[in-house]
Parts: sequence; structure tokens; C-alpha cells
Amino acid sequence: MTSTPPPRPPVRSALRDAAVAAFALWLVLFTAFVRHRNHELADRERARAQAAAAAVAAGEAPLHATSALGVVLPAEPDPRHPFLARRAVVDAAGTRALGGAEAPAADKLLYDAAARFDREGPFVGLLTDGSGRAVAAIATPRGPAIAVTAPPGSPAGLPWLMMIGLLGLGAALVTAGALSGRGALGVGAGLAVLVVPAWMWGGVALAAVAGGVAAAVAVAHGRGATERLAAGLIAHRVALSFLTPAAVAMAVLVLVPFLVGLVIGFYDHQHGTWTFVGLDNFARILSGDGRAFDDPLNFWFILGVTVLWTGANVLFHVVIGTTLALALRQPWLRARGLFRVLLIVPWAIPNYITALIWKGMFQGEYGAINSLLEGVGVGGVSWFSSWATAFAANVATNTWLGFPFMMVVALGALESIPRDLYEAAEVDGASAWQRLTQITLPHLRPALAPAVILGSIWTFNMFNVIYLVSGGKPGGSTDILVTDAYRWAFERGERYGMAAALGTIIFLILLLWTVFGTRVTRRTEEAP
Amino acid sequence: MTAALSRSRPAARAAALAAALALAACGRAGDDAVTLWHAYSGDERAALEDEAARWNRDHPERTVRLVAVPYDAFADKITSAIPNGNGPDLFVYSHDRVGDWVASGLLEPIEFWIDGDTAATWADDALAAMAYRGSLWGLPLAVKSLALYVRTDLVAAALTTTDELFAMAPGLRARGVFPLSYPVDDLYGHAAWLHGFGGQTLDADGRAAIATPEAVAAAAFARELVVREVVPRDADVALTATLFNEGKAAMAMSGPWFQGDIAGGVPWTVTTLPVVSATGRPAAPFLGAEGVLMSARARDKDAAIAVMLALAGDDAAGRRARRARQVVPNPRAYDGDLAADPVLDAFRRQLDASVAMPAVPLMRAVWTPYKNALGSVVSGASRPADALDRVASEIRTYEAP
Repeated sequence: MTSTPPPRPPVRSALRDAAVAAFALWLVLFTAFVRHRNHELADRERARAQAAAAAVAAGEAPLHATSALGVVLPAEPDPRHPFLARRAVVDAAGTRALGGAEAPAADKLLYDAAARFDREGPFVGLLTDGSGRAVAAIATPRGPAIAVTAPPGSPAGLPWLMMIGLLGLGAALVTAGALSGRGALGVGAGLAVLVVPAWMWGGVALAAVAGGVAAAVAVAHGRGATERLAAGLIAHRVALSFLTPAAVAMAVLVLVPFLVGLVIGFYDHQHGTWTFVGLDNFARILSGDGRAFDDPLNFWFILGVTVLWTGANVLFHVVIGTTLALALRQPWLRARGLFRVLLIVPWAIPNYITALIWKGMFQGEYGAINSLLEGVGVGGVSWFSSWATAFAANVATNTWLGFPFMMVVALGALESIPRDLYEAAEVDGASAWQRLTQITLPHLRPALAPAVILGSIWTFNMFNVIYLVSGGKPGGSTDILVTDAYRWAFERGERYGMAAALGTIIFLILLLWTVFGTRVTRRTEEAP
Repeated sequence: MTAALSRSRPAARAAALAAALALAACGRAGDDAVTLWHAYSGDERAALEDEAARWNRDHPERTVRLVAVPYDAFADKITSAIPNGNGPDLFVYSHDRVGDWVASGLLEPIEFWIDGDTAATWADDALAAMAYRGSLWGLPLAVKSLALYVRTDLVAAALTTTDELFAMAPGLRARGVFPLSYPVDDLYGHAAWLHGFGGQTLDADGRAAIATPEAVAAAAFARELVVREVVPRDADVALTATLFNEGKAAMAMSGPWFQGDIAGGVPWTVTTLPVVSATGRPAAPFLGAEGVLMSARARDKDAAIAVMLALAGDDAAGRRARRARQVVPNPRAYDGDLAADPVLDAFRRQLDASVAMPAVPLMRAVWTPYKNALGSVVSGASRPADALDRVASEIRTYEAP
């Protein structure tokens, strides 16, 4: 149905390409401008506060307007509460006490700055109240000289004239290029004018990015790539408009958090401070953090536990699920629908509720399982005191949770096996065992293979069971990678960087596993 | 062309609506009310709402507006909302996160407004819990610590020492009853013994002090409690309530919130924790102070401190103690019927033997390793000294380099 669109005039398409790229670059430049301006403003306010404090220390009047200033005398701690210190300030009007329920707000700035001076020594910084004011304290023999700047006026606006001029110049260059038959060169030159503000506000790095974008768009334009893209967008505009809502939702809900997670992995977070550390987090994790291999906090130990955990669970899920599916197909079975519903129930109950119930059943003195064991004369087991029993408790819980899924998949696959295969086999005298191994299982494999991949990914990341049943006991040795990532984020001083790096590693492991699994599945499906 | 336009119109309308919603969400409420976030529910919420209504009646020119925020999300919301200017002016939270928030610059120091006379409103320990790095960051509303719940039908005489606890084990065990129940591997409960043995978790400078001889003795004591069947091996909070209600535990170590878990018809009372016989010092649980804190971005700080002083003051404290049964740290609020209340009295006396939970950020990295160590000591898998050495070395790797 789609017909090739008529060729567009070269000027129009060159201008369009330059405009789209310039708009994107302009958004980046605007952010860079705001950052640059705020930094400059903050630097200026800090310098003013510093100068004013120096003036106070020298007994002179400051050059710029201030909110508060004075020399704060040493604190007299309250005898009962050392953190309640009385302070007094000396300023042009004389000496007066600071503090009290009715004291003016400006005095509080002096008081808090003096307290911070006592802790940290001389400092200069912005107030945390969002007013944009700066405060500085410098030492004098009598006590800290403190100055708080007056609120700064409104910050500089975007230099509109300059931006419009540059964009106009860019448009002229693009037009000239297109008219002279060198459209790509014109687009590149027209965009390259934005390198100047990029360099002014974002430094060399941003200028290089802007230059790179200009070159890339020019090359793409020269090769006709943008023309093909535009034609494609126009030809499929109806389909694209249907896809857009879902694509936006995916981007906001999946892609953005995913990218943020990736980036956070390169940072270290401690007590509200983020520091870029490059690959340190990954190095720390992959090197086992200097711990022995049998230390439950070593990444490779945890990875081993996770793989073992996943393997054991998926094995049980497949074996039990398939066996039950086969049993449900037996002609002698009565009330088949009832059994089918009952066997799906574990799947229908929220898994954290199931996990909590199983945890209760594994409880040492009063748990149902130990009561049963004691009933048959076997002593109770302290399930969470040793690795093997705690691991077994986790696996038992997750097996209970996971087999119905495999059973449902297997039931569906069994329905699709043609009856006449069995009839033909029976005619040929095949035994029940031969029918199972030669007909049923080979036909189940294509349906089960993707289910196994999916199930293994779920199990690999089965946070609820590990966290709620064993909770990593004993000593964190039954933790898997996701629960360890949780502990980095929430139980070890909010090391979000380590948690995010671990998340990235988990993602890469599962990505490899999925690629591998998909290959195997495809081969299974292709096999005769 | 017209068809294309009319097709695009619903989309344009949706976009405009979304933009308007986003603007509305970003914009701040225009009024000057002091905003207070809290995570209270039930009676505590009702008591706080009463106080807010009372304040608004008396101060129509600068009202207070309460916002209930779910507890699970509370700390994270505070951490992200205040720096962006969307946070509250005041909020209610326990003191142990103060260190984090001070380090991030989220809190306003308030000692400027508080003089010695005003400070006498609150018990010293409770007020000190709201202090960090030489400044005061909030006013205490209620204190929470563990104390000893006793089933009076199973334990006749008041328990005064841990030796008596061991002595009553054989008799009670013969009837299938544990003398005491609490989560034995959890540092929150174990801290009572730890402090009773003279140990600590963090020293005065906020550095970890884990593998000390006192702490080793306390861990060995926990193992002894299990071995001699004084406490069940892996009781959690829920099982403790069940055992206490079913008469399978004669005593339970728990906090004020436990009252709601006790079944009707169970004869019970609350008393202070016993003295540790080995040292002669009382078992001292962690003290958690719940306070009202001021955001560094509060708009009208004078109004905000006035609201704080009213909420934490003696009159409001007395009403909160009556309505919500909060253990308020205001000694002068306990008059009349409140002074005679045996439960509030027991928790107040327990405060004299309690240790404020460190507000240092490092403390949050101590809980899990310590729990692992106690678990392995109690089960006999590790010797106390080895287990605590491991805790110390693990925490060192989480400390800021």
C-alpha cells in the first residue's frame, strides 16, 4: 500500500535535520546553562560571605548587603545538657545574647554558624534553607567572625538574543550548504555553531559532544539515513501513533529505572553523599571483597548458592510438575477437575504468605514439621542452624510454590500430542514406558524448555522465599544474589552503589543465560 | 487534513490534562499552614489530630496541617522530598535516623530556641536522644523501650535477678512452660543483656565497639538462656505473643506495643527487667525516642518551633498519654490517674535503666551482622568471641573509608 514519498527539496530536508538536532542539543545546552549559572551564583555568594566575614573580623563594615553578621563569643554549655549552649554575639550595636523562643530569625543563623564552626572550624557554604544565601565563618581571637549574605537577586536569564542569533546563523549556513549542493556540509556547519555556547557553559567535554553530534547528523544526512527515517515515520505514522503510549510507558517504567540503576552502579553512596568510583564497586564484588571463598559474604560463594538454589528448584519443579500432569491424564482418575484446581492453589496464594506459613512450619519448638518428626520418633531439627537444613527448608518452600506452573505448562503440552501417535504405538506393541520416553517426553520438551528458562529466571531472583523463610540464616550463608543486593542497599548503611552494581551483574548473568537458553530452545524446536 | 486534526485532538487534550496534573503535583499548596508528616495510626493518630485541632482553634493565623504518610515509605520520602523543597515543615520519627539526616543536611538544629528551663520539660535521656554532634534536632514526644511482661498466674513473685530466672526454669519446663520469650538472636532484645554486662555496640565517639569482653560475656549468657531452656530457641515477635497468650511463656520481653497483642483474660502486668547477677547491673534495653523534627527547609521556622513546643509540652503530653497510652518523657505530665497507671509506671521506671539507641549512621550496619552472630552463638555453631570478631571485621568493611 505504501507508495514512495515524492523527493523533498534539499533545503527543506537539510533544515529539518538541522532543526531536529539543534532542538535536542539546545535542551542539553539549556541544562548546562542552568548548572553553570547556579555554580557561578553560588561561587559569588560564597565569595561575598567570605569577604564580609573578613570585614567583620577586621572591625570594618562589609561591602555587600548582609542578613546577619557579628563575632560570636565562645559557647557556655548548659551543665545538664551539653548540646544546649548559650552564646552571645558582638556586633556594631554592642554585645547581646543569642537565642530564646522570641529571638529574631537572623540571630539563629549566627548561632547555628557558630555551632558549625565549633564542630568543623572555619567554613564557607550555602545555607540549606534553599534561599541561596551563603554563610562564612573565620577564626578571630574572640571567637568566629560570621557573615550571612542577603538573599541574592533573581539569577541571570538565558541569553535569548545570543541563542536566537546562533540558531539563525546555523539556519543560514544550512540553507547556503543545501543551495550550493553540499547539504551535508551545511548541516554540519550549521549545527557546529552550537559548539561555542557548549564550550562556554559545559566546558570542553560538552563542546566535544556537540561537535560529535553535528558531525554525526551531517554524515547521516549525507548518506540519506535521515531521509529514509523521516519517510519511514511518515509511512507508518498510524502504527507508530498506536505504539507510542506503550512505548512511553515502557520507557518511563522500565527503561529509565534500568538506566538509572546502571549508572548508580558506578557511584558510591554513603550518608547522602554520592561519589563517582568508576568500576570500583564491580571490582570489589568480583574480587570477593578480600574474603575467603567459603565466607558467606564472598560474591562467588553467594553465586554458587544461587546457582545451586536455582538448579535444585527448577529440577523439582519440572519433575513434580510433569509427574502430576501425567497423573492427571490417567483415565482411571476420578474428580480430575477438583485435583487440578487443588494443585494450582499453591500458585494462586501470594508467595509471601506461603513463605511465612512455611517459615512457621519450620519453627524449632512449635513448628508443624518438627512436631511431625517428633511424632514418628525422630528428634526435632533446628532447621535454620545449619546450611544444609536451612537451604532444604528454602527449597521445600519454593518447590511447593513453583511446581503448579510447570504442571500447567505440561498439561497444555500433553493435550496437543496427537492421539493417533499413541494408537499407532499401541498397534506396534510399544510398552507404556516406551510410549512415555519415545512419544510423551519428546513432545513435552519444546513446551517445557521456555518454561524452564522463565522458571529459572524467577527462581534466580526469588527474593521473598529466601528473605522470609531462612532470612539468610545461618550467618547469611543461604542468601542469594538478590537478597545480598537488598542487604547492601538497606542493611549495610545504604550502599546503593554496591546494590546497583550487584543488580547489573545479576542482569548480565541472566542475559547470558537467556541467550543461551533461547538457542537451546530453538534447536529443540527445530529438531525433528 | 481535518480528519487528521480531529484525530489528534483527544491526544492533545490528554497531553494538556497530563501537563496540568503534573503542574498541580509540583506546585505547593498556597496556604501558610505548617505541614507535619506523621506515620501514626489508631489511637496515636487520633491523639495527634486532637492536638492539631486544638492548636488550629487557638492559632487560626498560623495553622498546622497533618499529613499521614505510610510508615514503610516514610524515611525514604523524607530523604528525597526535603532537598527538593516538597517536604514537610515538621515530621515525627524515631531518633535513630537523625544522624543520617543531619549528615545530609535535612534537619534544622533547634537548640537556639531551647533554654535550660524549657529543657527541664523532658527527661534528660529522652532529650539527649534527640541530640547529635553537639546540637539538638528535635523534641521528644514518646519513648519506647523493652520491659518485662509477666503472666501473674505463672510467676508469683517479682523477678529481680537473672539467677532467679535460671532457678525457675526447671519447675516451669516440667509444665511445658518457658520462663521467658523474646527474639533471642535479635540485637534489639539482646541489647538489654549486653548493656547489663557493661557492654555496648558503639562507643562514645560513634565507632564500633563489638568484640569486647563484656559483649562476649553477654553473648555467652544468651547461649546459656537457650541451653538451659529459659527461652525458646527461635522465637520471633509473633511467636512470643502466641506463647505468652497460650501460657507457654511465663514472661515476655517486649515494648509498649505488646499490650495490643495480649489476649483478653490473660492475667498480666509489666515490670522492669531484672538485674544481671554476674555484674549486679540492671539489664538496660535500647531507648528509642520518637520526636518531632524540623526540616532545614521549613518555611516559617518561628511558627514551626511554636508548634513543636506545643506538641511536646506537658499539657499535650498528658493528653497523649491518656488517649494513646504513649509513654511520654514529660515527668510533670504524670499526675492524678496517670501517676497511678501501673503499665506507664513500669515503662517509666525502665527508662532509668536504658541506653539511647545510637543515632550514628553506622549503627544501621550493625543489626544484621550482629543477628547472624547471635544466631550462630545460640545454636552452638560458633564461640561467642569468634562470632563477635567476625561482626567487628564485617562492620569495618561497611564503615566509610
